[in-house]
Amino acid sequence: MNLDKMMDLPGAMAAFTFTDKGDLQTHVLREGTELTPQVLDLLAHSCVANLAIANMEARGWESVTGQGGFQPLKGFSVVGLEWSVVVNGNCGVVVRNRDADYEAAFNALQAA
Amino acid sequence: MNIVKQLMAIPGVIAAGEFAFRGDRFSYEGALTDEFARMASILCRANTLAINMQTEIVDSFAEGCGCRPVQGWIAHGNLITICVVGNYFAFIENRNELLNDVMTIMRAKVGDIRDDLLANLYSKIGGDTKEALY
Repeated sequence: MNLDKMMDLPGAMAAFTFTDKGDLQTHVLREGTELTPQVLDLLAHSCVANLAIANMEARGWESVTGQGGFQPLKGFSVVGLEWSVVVNGNCGVVVRNRDADYEAAFNALQAA
Repeated sequence: MNIVKQLMAIPGVIAAGEFAFRGDRFSYEGALTDEFARMASILCRANTLAINMQTEIVDSFAEGCGCRPVQGWIAHGNLITICVVGNYFAFIENRNELLNDVMTIMRAKVGDIRDDLLANLYSKIGGDTKEALY
């Protein structure tokens, strides 16, 4: 996992990897950002939870409605006031909203 | 033109709608049945409330870090993506630049969600904002 490459994404403030349980493994923080490793650890835990929930919802939605196209889930993003966290698998990136390119972020995470 | 109609005018948007933070009220346009739109509204509301709870916790560790109040979320599926901003949702196809365009339009049209997110959004659909929301 090349976190430095993630930091090249537009507006990237932080990039991080986490375990299947959500514990922060590695991270890179842009100098001057308000984010801390502790915040990234909390984000990582919430990301694992949100990915699991979204996967469950995707399966349920496809099963109940017969509408395909949701599985396999390729990522989840929470859009905050100033920044968004975009995650997939065991990697995430925090991007500033005004510069965010969600498609590029999802694609980069998919390729990682 | 309202936000849902504007979203539905974009090629690749499958369905769009508005959901309530309490009760079962919802409205939508596009390729959903009434029952599926009701389910989508409940799904979007549940995720929005859960994410609001999560960011309150994050904010308690780093006050003013920029995560609150939550503006929305994205579930990126294999061929279809769900975008939520405030209490609006859109089901869109995964096409080049469509996700970024839809998010830009939704953020611009809905506007920044401020504090008292749930009370403000609930009041927009005519609810009693004095009533406890949790």
